[in-house]
Amino acid sequence: MNPDFFSLKVSEIRPEIKGKATSVTFDTPTNLAETFCWQAGQHVTLRFHFNEKEQRRSYTISNPPGAPLRITVKRVAGGLVSNHIGDHLKPGDMVDVMPPFGQFSLTPDPLKRRTHYFFGAGSGITPLFAMINAVLKEETHSVAHLIYGNADGESTIFGKELDKLKIEHAARFTLRHVLSAPSLWSWISPWRKGRVDAEAIKIAVTETPPVAQDVQYWICGPGAMNKDVSNALMALDVPANRIHMESFGGATMTASSVTGIAAKAQVNLGGSTYEVPVSADQTLLNAILAAGLTPPFSCQSGVCGACKARLTKGQVHMHARMALEDSDVTRGEILSCQSVATSDELSISFDN
Amino acid sequence: MTRMYHRLPVDAYTSQDWFEREQRQVFSRTWRYAGLAEDVPEPGHFVSIQAGLNNIFIVMGRDHRLRAFHNICRHRGTQLIRAVGKTQKALTCPYHDWTYDLEGNLISIPDEAKEYPNGVDKSCLGLKPASVDIWRGMLFVHPDPNPPSLVEWFGAVDPLLGPHKPEELVEYPDARQSYEIKANWKIVVENYIDVYHLSHLHSNTLHMYDHARAEYGWKGPHYHFWEPPAPDYAKDLEKNLPTPRAIPEPHIGAWVPMLFPGIGLGAGEDSWNIFIITPLGPDLTRVENRTKLANASGWEFQKQEWSSWSFWKDFGGPKYPDSDAISEDDPMASGDFTAEDIYACEQQQKSLTSPYFEVGPAANGESPVVRHQQAILDFLETQEAGT
Repeated sequence: MNPDFFSLKVSEIRPEIKGKATSVTFDTPTNLAETFCWQAGQHVTLRFHFNEKEQRRSYTISNPPGAPLRITVKRVAGGLVSNHIGDHLKPGDMVDVMPPFGQFSLTPDPLKRRTHYFFGAGSGITPLFAMINAVLKEETHSVAHLIYGNADGESTIFGKELDKLKIEHAARFTLRHVLSAPSLWSWISPWRKGRVDAEAIKIAVTETPPVAQDVQYWICGPGAMNKDVSNALMALDVPANRIHMESFGGATMTASSVTGIAAKAQVNLGGSTYEVPVSADQTLLNAILAAGLTPPFSCQSGVCGACKARLTKGQVHMHARMALEDSDVTRGEILSCQSVATSDELSISFDN
Repeated sequence: MTRMYHRLPVDAYTSQDWFEREQRQVFSRTWRYAGLAEDVPEPGHFVSIQAGLNNIFIVMGRDHRLRAFHNICRHRGTQLIRAVGKTQKALTCPYHDWTYDLEGNLISIPDEAKEYPNGVDKSCLGLKPASVDIWRGMLFVHPDPNPPSLVEWFGAVDPLLGPHKPEELVEYPDARQSYEIKANWKIVVENYIDVYHLSHLHSNTLHMYDHARAEYGWKGPHYHFWEPPAPDYAKDLEKNLPTPRAIPEPHIGAWVPMLFPGIGLGAGEDSWNIFIITPLGPDLTRVENRTKLANASGWEFQKQEWSSWSFWKDFGGPKYPDSDAISEDDPMASGDFTAEDIYACEQQQKSLTSPYFEVGPAANGESPVVRHQQAILDFLETQEAGT
């Protein structure tokens, strides 16, 4: 992973779902083509400065490898960066972008013959969309089934593009919309009402059982969805090593069973010091957010490094630490989104 | 000097050594046909299949994915399951009731504490995994848990096998049969892929297709073959088809490939058939046939039978007229091309042990026979280089 930022020019801005999300396409100059190579499912970190304060966010690349570098950003209520992108970014603007990275990736292989089930909801579609395109284009003996949850047709990102894929690849791609609040006059007719839950998963797998027996399951949704879907799959005896997931927004999904202990943390943030109580089942980041503070964070899955802090007293356990090198850990760096307390007194600092 | 039958020694067709070598190096090292996908229709269903030296069973999990394991209890090696069946969650060996879950994990040993006072690590005694996949509506198993994919194995020949979608056709159970031929399996394969014999042995049984216009060739060890309908048959093809179309118009012709090793398919406008060749001994071979037809109503079948009646009522007949038949059940007077083929194979095998046997020159239409022999040599070389 290349941790440097590169200034890239915005070549296209396209509003999605009536402006509630925005697709941003970047020009990648030839000399950076290799640096900005990606696998379907990976993301890039963007850096902005507002009022001299740095903001970093990670966004999934929503195009398959080989296509132009594009991200799709859904607006977050009150979100500094997502709304800036939606309201102000325009073609020709320069943006600092860190090269693609991330463990949640699908590498298509023309010699593999797989059945891929994709479970997505909301903006979780972005990595899945790139993966589905990669499979349909590059892994021509494999099939893809998407079970896609949204509130209604109007909030469904890439609805039209997915319909087009369905027509172009009728024999290799199935699409199921699960809408929690479908409107009567929507252009999308849902396969089911409700959520992408255990029942929906079971029925989808029964309706389109795997033909190719190398079966992989890809999950990307907000908050509890990942855990719910993976639990539902495991209840059907799907082996864990066939399930791949990434959390998008909301509560953090941790694969680890390690739990923390209740602690008191002293937090240095923005030049001030705060006392923050941390409960046993809380990550440091969630505890700090719950205290009303605004620490930096982004992916909440331990891969982007946005929530990095330095531990100066006490001990923590990190569920995942992909964004950190061993030497970072030795220096005391931690990912606050992945850390639970293992000693009852902690001091951490977000300030340099 | 070794007596040769084109590329292979005559021994390859008669000796126990060659038979065992092929069982070990060919039939135990490849993807093997294991039935039709509908043989394992629902979670809990299983089948077992002998694939060379390996007995492998396939079971469907609750996620509708198939698992394949070597059918060997990890205790004393007893075969765990028989033929076909259905289970809920577990497979129990009949000998000492060791029980495995559908992931192959050993989950219980009766009287474990008493019988194994020093403990036993069940986690190391799971069933040995094999591989299973579905392709063109057929089950295939491979003894290796990480084999080359079916794309690597069949990918190149796949586009040449016809537009049939066997998973959308329905089996015609009356056509399902299994029989033994007293000949080496390669003799049976060679008969299947011999283009020269079609106009001769089957002069009066397969002439609805135009053998002179056959197109055939090889992709690796796999043979592909297609021929168009003969002019008489083609003139009113839609009327003449004996059963409703199994593939859409305008596709016509017969696709008759032989996939390696011994997996014959035979598909036309109105049917899809499999012809699975399994060696049982140096001079004994089993053939299994299954047939699938269009998923159409009884009425559609009835209408097609009526419309094609005038073509078929005078079609075909025995190769030899009744006066030349040696007995009432003479295959040469049967008018049945399968009986003709079996007869030819068995008559050929009989001569292979004669000290006076000497093979004659291969004709153009027999080039596939020679090429198949080479495919065997090549496969053996690759396998034996790897061991």
